[in-house]
Amino acid sequence: MEALTQGMMAALRRMTALMAADRRDWTEAVLAEAAEVPAGWRRLSWLTGGMRLTVREVARAHRLWYPAAFAAVAAGIAWSAWSGPPGDSAIAINRTDVLAIAAILAGLAWAFRQTRGPVAATRWTRLARTGGYAAVLALVLVKSAVERVADAPPNNTLGGPAVAWTGEVVFLVVMAGYAAVILIYTAQRSPVLPATLTIGASAGLVLGVAAYLLGPLGFPLRFTGLWPARLYDVALGFGVLLALCVPVAAGLAAARRADDALPAGSRFRQGAMAGLWSGIAAALVVAVLSTATIAILPYDSGLQHWATGHIGQWIPAVGEVSTVVQPRLGYVAGNSAFAAGYLAVLLIGPLACCAFGAGGASLRHAFAGQRSQ
Amino acid sequence: MTRHSEFSKQTLAVLAALCTQPSAWQHGYAIARDTGLKSGTLYPILVRLADRGLMEACWEDEQPTGRPRRHLYRLTPDGLASATAALADVTPTVRAQTRAAFSPRRRLGTEG
Repeated sequence: MEALTQGMMAALRRMTALMAADRRDWTEAVLAEAAEVPAGWRRLSWLTGGMRLTVREVARAHRLWYPAAFAAVAAGIAWSAWSGPPGDSAIAINRTDVLAIAAILAGLAWAFRQTRGPVAATRWTRLARTGGYAAVLALVLVKSAVERVADAPPNNTLGGPAVAWTGEVVFLVVMAGYAAVILIYTAQRSPVLPATLTIGASAGLVLGVAAYLLGPLGFPLRFTGLWPARLYDVALGFGVLLALCVPVAAGLAAARRADDALPAGSRFRQGAMAGLWSGIAAALVVAVLSTATIAILPYDSGLQHWATGHIGQWIPAVGEVSTVVQPRLGYVAGNSAFAAGYLAVLLIGPLACCAFGAGGASLRHAFAGQRSQ
Repeated sequence: MTRHSEFSKQTLAVLAALCTQPSAWQHGYAIARDTGLKSGTLYPILVRLADRGLMEACWEDEQPTGRPRRHLYRLTPDGLASATAALADVTPTVRAQTRAAFSPRRRLGTEG
């Protein structure tokens, strides 16, 4: 015990050298007080608390929190995606996916730090960057869980390994684009105002959650009763309206916020960027939530029952998978939906929202022009 | 309606300990004993209070015999005002909970 205590004290003394000069007093205070604490477990426990404080201060001084958190999450996802027989193409895709995404996210973060500087020092900007990276990693996690079954025989009858690998390459390119946008617009030398980012991302979160609630598996739902079906149709119409109006409103609001700060041309750009961010946030939210729902489908009999009842009309359209037994239904649906649907949403959503956002900024410009006449 | 303090229960316990003798300097282990907080909880609170200018810290001037010099703490005038307001602000129920949770009787794990 005494040796352990002495070892801990020696480690703490050494670690003070890694702390910022004005913070070393705190660890030295813990060490000084340790002499007062009764020897044995109590003193060791006291020093352990000091070690926690010291590690935190060292991480803060060297800005290690974000890289450490990213490494921990990436390692967890790699562990999750790695399991399975090595000859299986689905497992090979998952392993490639995890390694490539980790390399892309870490490499781009380093590259943009050189050109655009570190993350901007506002709370919302940090939250947007952390949330964006977390969403990309979450998407890789849930996608690998779905594809582990969907791309493996006998469920991979919709295209085979060649289609799956092509889809994988497209997915990686799209994710690299997302990471680049997230890094550029949350950096210190960002081309947009922090308010633009906040408006766009908040609008996108609302839109993404609404889209998920209207079609958790990526397809319009089927209701047998008259009133539930009518209500759902109304909600669906409202959802379409929301998808059109939210990016326009985000663009308008961002252009309005930028009125005093920027010239007219830049205001238009702020609107377009607010729209782009709303599309990015919405696409990531809906892709992550829907793919996660598909991933848990085979483990939840209640969800299977619900899915069979509410996306039943979709099965015949696929033809060859109409005889697939129920537990596989979700995976086949999921695979098809992910490849054809969510990837399209991830690609087209932000671009369309960017255009709508620019439209919103133009509206603002038109309103301002009318008022000044 | 209960107004939520800007401080956590643990921080309120530390402020209460520092308020008992506002002009006197106190050391970390004494505060830990008074509040029942572990060092891993207590010191981050002390760091935050110092960072916010609510508490000042210094080392003992003279080297005592038989033990290392202590790092000492006391509230600044701003800190005393904030602490007094925060402690007066919490409802008697919260104050009782804070006292019960971090009373010296509950020194099951002051360290760590």
